[in-house]
Amino acid sequence: MAADLNWAIGGEAGDGIDSTGKIFAQALSRAGRHVFTSKDFASRIRGGYTAYKIRTSVDEVQSVVDRLDILVALTQRTIDENLDELHDGSAIIYDGERSWDAEIPEEMKGIDVPLKSLAEDAGGAIMRNIVALGAACEITGFDVEYLDESLEKRFGGKGTQIVENNKEAARLGQEYVQEHYDVGDLGYDMETTDNDYVLLNGNEAIGMGAIAAGCRFYAGYPITPATSIMEYLTGRIEEYGGHVVQAEDELSAINMTLGAARSGARSMTATSGAGIDLMTETFGLVATSETPMVICDVMRSGPSTGMPTKQEQGDLNMALYGGHGEIPRFVVAPTSITECFWKTIEAFNLAEKYNTPVFLVSDLAMSVTEQTFPPEAFDMDAVEIDRGKLVDDEEVQEWLDSQGRFRAHAATEDGVSPRSIPGTTDGAHMSTGLEHDELGRRTEEQEIRVQQVDKRNRKVETAKNEEEWEYREFGNPDAENLVISWGSNEGALVEALEYLEDEGVDVRVISVPYIFPRPDLTDEIEAAEETIVVECNATGQFADVIEHDVLTRVKRINKYTGVRFKADELAEEITTKLTEEVPAQ
Amino acid sequence: MSSDVRFTDFKSDKQPTWCPGCGDFGTMNGMMKALAETGNDPDNTFVVAGIGCSGKIGTYMHSYALHGVHGRALPVGQGVKMARPDIEVMVAGGDGDGYSIGAGHFVHAVRRNVDMTYVVMDNRIYGLTKGQASPTSRSDFETSTTPEGPKQPPVNPLALALASGASFVAQSFASDALRHQEIVQKAIEHDGFGFVNVFSPCVTFNDVDTYDYFRDSLVDLQEDEDHDPNDYEAAKEVILDSEKEYQGVMYQNENSVPYNEQHGVTEDMSEIPDGAPEDAMDLVREFY
Repeated sequence: MAADLNWAIGGEAGDGIDSTGKIFAQALSRAGRHVFTSKDFASRIRGGYTAYKIRTSVDEVQSVVDRLDILVALTQRTIDENLDELHDGSAIIYDGERSWDAEIPEEMKGIDVPLKSLAEDAGGAIMRNIVALGAACEITGFDVEYLDESLEKRFGGKGTQIVENNKEAARLGQEYVQEHYDVGDLGYDMETTDNDYVLLNGNEAIGMGAIAAGCRFYAGYPITPATSIMEYLTGRIEEYGGHVVQAEDELSAINMTLGAARSGARSMTATSGAGIDLMTETFGLVATSETPMVICDVMRSGPSTGMPTKQEQGDLNMALYGGHGEIPRFVVAPTSITECFWKTIEAFNLAEKYNTPVFLVSDLAMSVTEQTFPPEAFDMDAVEIDRGKLVDDEEVQEWLDSQGRFRAHAATEDGVSPRSIPGTTDGAHMSTGLEHDELGRRTEEQEIRVQQVDKRNRKVETAKNEEEWEYREFGNPDAENLVISWGSNEGALVEALEYLEDEGVDVRVISVPYIFPRPDLTDEIEAAEETIVVECNATGQFADVIEHDVLTRVKRINKYTGVRFKADELAEEITTKLTEEVPAQ
Repeated sequence: MSSDVRFTDFKSDKQPTWCPGCGDFGTMNGMMKALAETGNDPDNTFVVAGIGCSGKIGTYMHSYALHGVHGRALPVGQGVKMARPDIEVMVAGGDGDGYSIGAGHFVHAVRRNVDMTYVVMDNRIYGLTKGQASPTSRSDFETSTTPEGPKQPPVNPLALALASGASFVAQSFASDALRHQEIVQKAIEHDGFGFVNVFSPCVTFNDVDTYDYFRDSLVDLQEDEDHDPNDYEAAKEVILDSEKEYQGVMYQNENSVPYNEQHGVTEDMSEIPDGAPEDAMDLVREFY
């Protein structure tokens, strides 16, 4: 892989850290460089430490690493928080005119730029971060004109004067460094390419996937880190005849979604763990009324309010087992940002093919991370829509009983019943959370109860056989060491393979996007000498499931600090874990 | 279905299991008649029912229907109407469903003013669980869980609605069939959230708020020529009058603009293309 550069800007919440970082990421993307971003942030509007980090290379990057080359520090805490990642020769851009005395570690290069004064020269102190970006361009040998493009995109709507002032601010920063420092010896040289990339995060990919899939209705209640799906859809879904509604709570959100779904709209709600708790009330109803809908859980650190702005994959058991009674459902967990797009589309198709709720499980790390992709990675022509057994005025006739009543819960061979929506002549029927007969009418007759339970479970069996529940695979397929992961750890694992290869450790990586139904990994685990399951939680919820499937013990790597896995860290953990004793049977 | 819909078309072939004499029979009949009278048919009507005795209505009526989770009938109904403005939506529930577990949704449904009808079968008691206090029970009403009465004032659902910005507030009595039907019909015809609290006596567990009590005490606003439903102040006075029980349309905002119109939500969302929307690549290009 070509050399990567790790850049960050940090300060207090409210300092414009996020938008500055995004502007720089966009500029790098415009220059045909790959970008992978991450954020350190707290659950507050102002104050506290926050940072936006960018890893960039001309090759694909899909993980963060424990190394920081250039840091724009607006506060001393920014430096202190990142001491572990800074190294000999790291450059730290700071404003020496500000009240704090920056303590720059000796082995690092302090680049003192009067950010505020220069910004004022360009038209306003508010642009001090842009001055810092200009300085960063100079240090890295990155053409400031790419930054211009990004500034135009960001500020274009605010008028040419604002754009020009920002461009000027960037140039003042660049020139200042040019005049006062010799940065050549730092050795950064940012290559560019002619490639066109798009830059987006996992939640944007989910929102875009939803629109592509024909989702027209979204109800939600704001919650970190799911809100940005709602924000993405707002203002866009209307262009396609859809609507976003902010409900009074998650109880309402899921029930509005249910209503829209029952009236024939492809519908979705998204939330995070605390909201899923409330929505659990309605899971059973969605399943027994056989309503197709997508419920998205962008996981964050729990339990209770936990660490709302931190990463965790702690809701797997909730997605698999949440709710009283036995609830048929599908659980899909995209493993990358592009997969957030494709799996969302698949989730809508699965929901309608099997009249079943589909849990789309993502996580905080993926929701805030922006990554570059060639636009073809989201090829809209490849999107397929399958509405399952949705019947029209004619087809409905095949499903009427002898008295002309629609058999909405007909106990078919494959377990999938026809679905009629309001407005379909002769399709009127009742659905309920009570156990019911084929017509949807309440019953407690044993025979019918068993018929309906079996029918609902049969749908899942049909899906198991009809659909492809494949895993994604990386590394050496014949390696004796097997590492299994689910959800967003894939990128870090794929990059960890390079470190492991350097160490001479041969590894096969299996990344599983389907939690239920899921691929049977018995053969793969039996073929391996060692199996490790990697996940961002303390107890190893996926490892438990795998052990249960395969009836064997696996080793586990668990991280529950609230921070996602990093590639180099994972490589080290895997190497260590391989030398440990196999846990007792 | 053709336009010659009769109210019996809204009747399912399931016989109600309500206690003989239950107010819910009359409430439901009036709803069915009002639906037929306003030109609806079962295939373009969606009935959402809550949990409790009232919740059984979805089974006894014939239409597209969902019998949902306790207290959440209103959100379901709003979802239906937002996705399908062409469908007539009627939500029915009890006083427990609407004013206790679902009280939060009631306030916000009223605010949103979605063009639908909400009929609450208010019997001032929890009947299906065999006689406990409801949010509209009198403060001295003795029940198995409140032996000395709830000792808290009953919720005034009409006032709650008005305070939440209601555009249509009405009350009817299940036993006064003609007036009940007329009032529900007005709620259906109203452009916005048509809320009707129906006195629907429980003959088994409530020996206070009985048919006789309502017959004797009910004041019909129709007989009061001075009452103008468009007059907010007059509505307030009637609604906050704790001395009397009223039936009729207390308040109707003539300038009500329903949610879908307010938000430009006019399309039938059930219809989507076979693949991604034609210009969907524009969504990708936004991320350049």
